Amino acid sequence: MTKNIRYLLLGVLVLLPGAAIAAGPSAQALAFTCAGCHGTDGSSVGPSSPSIAGMDPDVFIDAMNGYRADQRNSTIMNRIARGYSDDQIEGMAWFFARQRLDLKSQPHDAALATKGAKLHEKHCEKCHEEGGRPGDAGTLAGQWMPYLEYTMADFLTGKRDWPRKMERKVDAATAEQGEQAIPALIHYYGSQHRPDDRGNQHD
Amino acid sequence: MTDIHRRAFIRTAGGVALLGTTLGFPYLAMGATRRVVIVGGGVGGATAAKYLRKLDPGISVTLIEAKPNYTSCFMSNEVLSGDRTLDSITFSYDGLRSYGVEVVIDRVVGIDPVSKVVRTAGGKDFGYDACVVSPGIGFKWDAINGYDETVAEEIPHAWYAGPQTRTLRRQLEAMPDGGKVLIAAPPNPFKCPPGPYERASQIAMYCKHHKPRAKIMILDPKDAFSKQGLYIEGWTKLYGYGSDNSMIEWVSGAEGGAVEAVNPQTRTLQTFVEDFQGDVVNIIPPQKAGAIAFAADLVEGDWCPVDKRTFESSRHKDVYVLGDASSAAKMPKSAYAANSQAKVAAAAIVARFSGREPDDPTFVNTCYSIVGEDFGISVAAVYSLDAANNTIEPVPNSGGVSPSNASPELRKREVSYAHSWFKNVINDMME
Amino acid sequence: MPRRIAPVAMTCLWAAALMLFIAPFAHAENPDPAVEGVLQYFDPETRERIIPDERCLTCHGDENQKTDVRDDGSPVDIYVEHGRIEASVHGEHSCTDCHTTIDRVPHREAPQVVVGCVECHKETWSEHKDDPEYERLEVVNKEIENFMGSVHASPSKLDESRTNATCYDCHDAHNIGELGSQQRAEQRLKNPEICGSCHEDELAEYRDSDHGRAVLEEGDSDSAVCSDCHTTHAITEPEGDAAKLAITKNCGDCHQDAQRTYFASYHGQVHRLGYTNTAKCHDCHGGHGVKGEDDPTSEIHADNRLENCQTCHEGATESFVAFLPHGDADDRENYPGLWVAKRFMQALIIGVIAFFWLHVLLWLFREVVERFQGRGFIEDLDNPEKVYFRRFSATWRWIHGLFAISTMALILTGTTLLFSHTDWAKAVVTFLGGPQVEGIIHRTAAIIWLAIFVVHLTIALINIQRKRKLGTFEWFGGTSMLPSWKDLEDLRDMFKWFFGRGPRPKFCHWTYWQKFDYWAPFWGTAVIGTTGLVLFAPEKTALLLPGSVFNFATLIHAEEALLAAIFLNSVHFFNVHFRPERFPMSTTIFTGAIPIEEFKHDHRLEYERLVERGELEKHLVKRPSRRAELASSFITSVLIMAGLALLTLVLIGVMTTPN
Repeated sequence: MTKNIRYLLLGVLVLLPGAAIAAGPSAQALAFTCAGCHGTDGSSVGPSSPSIAGMDPDVFIDAMNGYRADQRNSTIMNRIARGYSDDQIEGMAWFFARQRLDLKSQPHDAALATKGAKLHEKHCEKCHEEGGRPGDAGTLAGQWMPYLEYTMADFLTGKRDWPRKMERKVDAATAEQGEQAIPALIHYYGSQHRPDDRGNQHD
Repeated sequence: MTDIHRRAFIRTAGGVALLGTTLGFPYLAMGATRRVVIVGGGVGGATAAKYLRKLDPGISVTLIEAKPNYTSCFMSNEVLSGDRTLDSITFSYDGLRSYGVEVVIDRVVGIDPVSKVVRTAGGKDFGYDACVVSPGIGFKWDAINGYDETVAEEIPHAWYAGPQTRTLRRQLEAMPDGGKVLIAAPPNPFKCPPGPYERASQIAMYCKHHKPRAKIMILDPKDAFSKQGLYIEGWTKLYGYGSDNSMIEWVSGAEGGAVEAVNPQTRTLQTFVEDFQGDVVNIIPPQKAGAIAFAADLVEGDWCPVDKRTFESSRHKDVYVLGDASSAAKMPKSAYAANSQAKVAAAAIVARFSGREPDDPTFVNTCYSIVGEDFGISVAAVYSLDAANNTIEPVPNSGGVSPSNASPELRKREVSYAHSWFKNVINDMME
Repeated sequence: MPRRIAPVAMTCLWAAALMLFIAPFAHAENPDPAVEGVLQYFDPETRERIIPDERCLTCHGDENQKTDVRDDGSPVDIYVEHGRIEASVHGEHSCTDCHTTIDRVPHREAPQVVVGCVECHKETWSEHKDDPEYERLEVVNKEIENFMGSVHASPSKLDESRTNATCYDCHDAHNIGELGSQQRAEQRLKNPEICGSCHEDELAEYRDSDHGRAVLEEGDSDSAVCSDCHTTHAITEPEGDAAKLAITKNCGDCHQDAQRTYFASYHGQVHRLGYTNTAKCHDCHGGHGVKGEDDPTSEIHADNRLENCQTCHEGATESFVAFLPHGDADDRENYPGLWVAKRFMQALIIGVIAFFWLHVLLWLFREVVERFQGRGFIEDLDNPEKVYFRRFSATWRWIHGLFAISTMALILTGTTLLFSHTDWAKAVVTFLGGPQVEGIIHRTAAIIWLAIFVVHLTIALINIQRKRKLGTFEWFGGTSMLPSWKDLEDLRDMFKWFFGRGPRPKFCHWTYWQKFDYWAPFWGTAVIGTTGLVLFAPEKTALLLPGSVFNFATLIHAEEALLAAIFLNSVHFFNVHFRPERFPMSTTIFTGAIPIEEFKHDHRLEYERLVERGELEKHLVKRPSRRAELASSFITSVLIMAGLALLTLVLIGVMTTPN
């Protein structure tokens, strides 16, 4: 029953445009300013700045807080993130969570991606569900590969703290596939640019 | 798709008008389609067109631009170094058309803010409810003796990307090893503040590989410039700046860098201290708002004053001036700034059409410069409105330039992100 | 993931989608956000994350990887058998309904298991009190109350931020079965191991006990597990009275006969009054290590018994162990001696009471009849007697007064023990300040009581000696207390009078009922006093006598006291105060004087004898002062009231005695 009430509420909210109170910029206005790097509504056209459409709002907030505190190795995001209040960040988080992620195909090595698929299934899938589709463990599927490379490099060089348990999993994947492990995973994620790509990485 | 939307809207608008009014859709009850005419198809105009349609597909948007294709000034310095072709920075307006924007290739000759009509050289009149003017910059041809539009065919400014960019690239290719490139930088304010120095850098990158004995001299009326510290760090590292054998030399205003006249025949630039002769000469003249802004009576001094909340002209109601032509202190005249301002203006127009007060604006500027191979630097800022002073102020503790002495890995990433910036800005404005 | 969408939801979503299509307004966001992408994992109203069970089970339901490692590298069992939860009472709940602190998956920090069982059960019960589907929650909430008051709910001494134990330390949280389910039966057999995970020493003892072997080795769920004795939730510190009382009570849930006979013993009686510093089941049988008497390691094995008794009775000797702690006077086969003793005492009580109550009723009948006929002795209240006969010296008056008070004190304190099953007994004990205070009162009163008895005996003997020297002593003289043939004749004549077949007999100085009123307590004091002393000093007694004496002493002490209590407060009261001639009371025993007419009426022979001898004048006194009369009336009233109250309590006790 409560679920029905929630849907009713949702209906009411959709029927009330412009309900936003003009106290400071709207979440939409704030989010629009990101498009120059992250693409319109957060779907980046590459080649390296990541897509943030359809992103888990908590992951977005975590990332912005990480940038603000210089806990992430960024080029300009730390300087930009410090320009926003907690509320503004939360507003943007929900804006992007509501956007449909429009993924572009990118060149990848299909054989490597096949290897990556196996590694992912074995070591990564439990956290990065459904081949790394957007969720509370971030967005990996279809993400721009250079960005994934930079991120992994930051983890491996200690410039960004590993999420809990991730180091162990990456070590296990590396133990299995050696130096190919991380490129294989990145090519696998890079190959996942369509929603039905999972398990069908030969495209 | 857009037509279907529009027809669906028209068909149903009447039916839901009464309901809509009671439910809080005053804009539905307004009846007739709102028309916005956009003058200029650069970053500001194109972005405004796309976002107006995105925010309210019921608005009729017409964009009038003289050139059939858009060539971006940003990244055009990479054409000079040979890293890119001019084609790679040239884009059609078909993307905008797919959003339902009517793109008219024509030159606007006048805007009547009273009768609300835009007139083109082709003799067409376009009535509007709101007019967005994004004309970019014009040059003060009389500021440097001997420099005019005809001379510029040979001694190009290349400050609009296009044929002049190609000309300059050809001149560089033709220059003998050991030749000298002169770049006359403009005084503030001007479009793309780090641009002249990135241009010097890109030319140096080309010369380093192909004409290692060449010299590049920047003659500058200013004593400081954008990202100066980072440029000098890059030049020192890549081009021996500061040494006797430096490929790049910067002559500041204090050192007599202000160019007063040009001798096109001898390719000599004259300052009040001495004359400089170059094999390739690039003059970036002092700047002002684009011509149509003057014709439409939108200018005070060199630039167009605006209400910073909406970018509506302070001189004429329902006319919005975006981008380089506007007086948007403290935002720089950059592509990202124009893109950001266009969305603010679009949201304000949509809000006003629906009878609401526009929200407070928010702006971002980010700007990457590629100093050399794997050496990118950036400046970024988040801005908010200071309504009391009608200024746009950076949010305290945010923004700034790339860290000095950063790791090569980080500088390399900035190049990659610079290219992402380029692709996404183009995408956001017209794709 | 398949999601069931209810019609209301569908309608709303369609309406929302339709409005987005026909109304092209200032919403740049993509349509229909509710079921798109990550938003399906958020509550659209509260924006709180919804974590579906499937997400949890990705890791916690993986049969191939039931353990994980903690951040410190130690292994941790993470497997959850989802089928079990679904079959349990909580089957309809999602993981995060209980694990409310889990807000992110994967967990950003090592998750703490903090589940608010209490809060949820309380809230749910308060919301659904009238719904029969939730009626079991009433029991749950009662147990929650019990738990909240228990030692398990107190802060741990090692870590004050935690309680000593919490719900899921004992309840297999993912496997709470319905009433009568297989899960609950399994959980019962697991109870000792669960408690033992903290109470290791106790488990080790239990494992070796008869209970433990039956449960843990044979899977006999009828044998006692921890919670049968300790209760499930109302567990208090074992040193406290509440725990001791509860455990003893709970033993009786299975061992009913043992408990009945225990409560008939002194140990059991005083325990039932709330005194725990006495032998309880587990003091003699061993608590967790309880074993049968044939087991040589059992505390109640013949070889170990003396040592067992000596735990409390330090001076206990070999003969002490002959005590029959569960001696049953109703069990003729096993305890014939006790059985006979009890029958004898009961016959005595019934015989005496029956005879004298009949005597009382007939007497009452006769006097009432005579009243109606205008005959009999009627006090002329308008012209009160001025001449009184001095009947009791000050010494006897004092002795009687103290004796009466101490007797009442003894009855009150003694019968609480005898009738420890009654509510009044518990109330009296509480009023007096607990079983220990009561014991002190009883023993103090007993010493006074016995002292009076001895003093009285001494005076009586001195009087006899004095009279012998004077030569006036006669064994069966007119003032003699000794029963004589005349008493029997008087009794016979009295009955004739009762039935209207003769005149009321004439009596000497002491009537036969007065003699009985004297000799009955005399005998009673001897018996009660002797048995009382035996029970007062068990170790000393056991130097001379076998321990079974305590069983007899307890029985006889109680039965004799019961007889005395009923007799004195009914028959004696009638004879002295309540028969119509005397009603409402006689104050003679306190003033020492009796109106001369009354004396003449009741003791005609003595009166005539004194007149004859010319000695009457010696005994005549003035009417007692008004103050003395008022004081006497007051004391008499109080004592009569107290006596009647005691009689009431005793009769309630007799009538409600179990079995």
